[in-house]
Amino acid sequence: MGTHAKLSRRLGAFAVILFLMVAALGFRLVDFQVVRAAEIQKTSLETRKLTQTISSLRGDILDSSGQILAKTVLRYDVNAAPKRVGPVFQTIDGVRTERSVDEIALDLSQLLGLDYRELILKLAGDSEYANLAKTVNAETYNAIRGMNVPWIFFDQFEDRLYPMGAVAGNVLGFVGSDGTPLAGLERQYNTCLAGIDGQETFERSSDGVRIPTSNLTTQPTENGGALNLTIDANLQFFAQQVLADTVSSLSAQWASAIVLDVETGKILAAAEAPTVDPNDPAAVVSADRGSRIFQAAFEPGSIMKALSAAMVLDTGTASEYDTVNAPDRMQLDFDNEYIKDSFSHEDYTLSLAGVLRYSSNTGMTKFASQIDRKVRYDYLQKFGFGTVSPLRFEGESSGILHPVSEWDEMTNLVTTFGQGISVTSLQMAYAYQAIANGGVRLDPLLVESCLNEDGTIAFAPTQEATRVVSTASANLDLELLEKVVEFGGVGKTAAIPGYRVAGKTGTGQLKAGSGYGEEYAISFYGIAPAEDPKFVVGITIYKPEGVSNSAGATPPFKAIMQQALKHYRIPPSTTESRSVPSNKFGEVDEND
Amino acid sequence: MSAYMVSERDAKKLKPSLTAGLIFVLGIVAVLIGQISLNMVLTQDAYQLRALKIEKQSLATDVQIIQEEVSSLSSPQNLADAANMLGMIANPASVMLDIESDKIYGKPSPARAEGSAVASANLVANSALGTVSEFSMATVAAGELEVSVATSKLATSGLVLKSGLIPASPTR
Repeated sequence: MGTHAKLSRRLGAFAVILFLMVAALGFRLVDFQVVRAAEIQKTSLETRKLTQTISSLRGDILDSSGQILAKTVLRYDVNAAPKRVGPVFQTIDGVRTERSVDEIALDLSQLLGLDYRELILKLAGDSEYANLAKTVNAETYNAIRGMNVPWIFFDQFEDRLYPMGAVAGNVLGFVGSDGTPLAGLERQYNTCLAGIDGQETFERSSDGVRIPTSNLTTQPTENGGALNLTIDANLQFFAQQVLADTVSSLSAQWASAIVLDVETGKILAAAEAPTVDPNDPAAVVSADRGSRIFQAAFEPGSIMKALSAAMVLDTGTASEYDTVNAPDRMQLDFDNEYIKDSFSHEDYTLSLAGVLRYSSNTGMTKFASQIDRKVRYDYLQKFGFGTVSPLRFEGESSGILHPVSEWDEMTNLVTTFGQGISVTSLQMAYAYQAIANGGVRLDPLLVESCLNEDGTIAFAPTQEATRVVSTASANLDLELLEKVVEFGGVGKTAAIPGYRVAGKTGTGQLKAGSGYGEEYAISFYGIAPAEDPKFVVGITIYKPEGVSNSAGATPPFKAIMQQALKHYRIPPSTTESRSVPSNKFGEVDEND
Repeated sequence: MSAYMVSERDAKKLKPSLTAGLIFVLGIVAVLIGQISLNMVLTQDAYQLRALKIEKQSLATDVQIIQEEVSSLSSPQNLADAANMLGMIANPASVMLDIESDKIYGKPSPARAEGSAVASANLVANSALGTVSEFSMATVAAGELEVSVATSKLATSGLVLKSGLIPASPTR
């Protein structure tokens, strides 16, 4: 065999082997790139891909001027890996230093406010996880992070902060440690405040670094909306200060103050004492964690007379000059029942203003009982009693207004001066708002709007107006109520120098068993300036110790109304009240 | 005798060109270097992005710390306590000036501690209070001295905060 032929055979064999190898590689290539391409790509992506939830931020709650009442902040749990605890070496300015575990623990105990020995015990052991402290703030977190201790790590989470503490805490409500809204506006408006968590997928290299341009947002994050309230935090704080003082000095069970803007129906302050600091709701008993302004109903007593007087005027039953004979005790012609006034007196001849000034139960009964009970019931309904307001505040009480068909003879009479009916502070304040607003009651407003993150309005409440009495009747009633503050025994203490004030005292005797006991809910609901009403302030003080008249309710009324007038720059009155018969002889008072 | 599969002339023609080989090798090297460089740039950017994100997070934490400090200092509870510490009493009397009509509404009257219906110190709970206004006796005393000698010099007293000094308003 020649050399040439041998060479050709070898070349042929080589070509065959080469072909087979290429074919094998080609087969694999087609297998990987075409046949199993999708499967391999999927497996590969799964090992590189990481899906991460991006938490949305819960929206802020703001007062009427934009001050933050509730916001979301980051908090941190501080953890350690005891298994890895050891001294830390640091090089500062070229000098290598060693920090012992004891030194680190001492610093940590100071930063976390923990006992040093307790901390050392937590750092001992062979585990990878030991919690050292929960919910530390960003300042502490930064300080600990700055220590550069490799065996300390953090869990970051969102928490709710109420920078003004208990200011409006009763209406704000609070959230649980897991962020679940548990009470108040936090819960009622959760759909506005809660955001929608987002999801992001990205790829990372084998050393864990994110591969650029691999981000894919599978679910965009939507932060919660901002809830704007009608509450004025400064006025609210002031009212809470006053009430805390009042509850303490009268040893009362609780007290509430509500301030309304007459023209808009906005609630400017809904203050209570005692109340809850939403940062620490567990610090108070559960009864103090809600809002009694909306949730607690009480027998109003004489503050109801202002509304009965409006009914008398509106129905034309009597004018401001008509009088009745008002004894201190009036025997009724059924069941041996009687009605009496809160103090003994000879028979008075009282006009409507006189009835209000002396807070005469007998006088008011004589005036108002001339109106058909069904008509009075309709008025009470239009004033807003017996139903839950459109606010639908959680746990809001409707009070008790029995259907007129269930009124017995006594209920028919005593409702004229606030017995046999129970109301909330909210309802009574808006009934007074109707008197102050020319007879038109506006729906209460506590929430101004819910704004999306981009500033668009997600929700704004609607407001309806209800004509209760005529403008003339309402204005006349206001003039009569001024006499309470000008000449009334207790009412005089509600007077504010420089301003014309209209209002009514109330001393609601509280039920004890089947009758009335010796405990009271005292109140003062007032309007100022009387000639151009701007505010209604309603004070209710529940079970003040050893107090049987409303004298305790006028100082907080005066302080809060005075503050509202000053705060909103309402100029003092420049006119005098009209002379109206109000003394016990049915005549104009000599000082009027 | 040498055996050639091709003619000697053709074999010379087929002899690999050194230049072509060099270009081929250099080309491959250039592509590899380019790929490595691109990779390095991309990786570097990824690390830079990560570093910037960490910095952003750190700055956000600083902002939160400062915001919480401001919230605490501006809370009504702190202001009430601060005012009380400075001996301030709220004056409930309203006196207003109407610039347009040159009218004065209300009668000016001094604030009286005994007549005040409101406690000036804070009574409303706030467990979120962190940084609060602090007063050094020396600075308060210096402020009082200035008032007593009716000097027009700006006040040197101020609210001494943990984080520094906020100058008091020169308004007396």
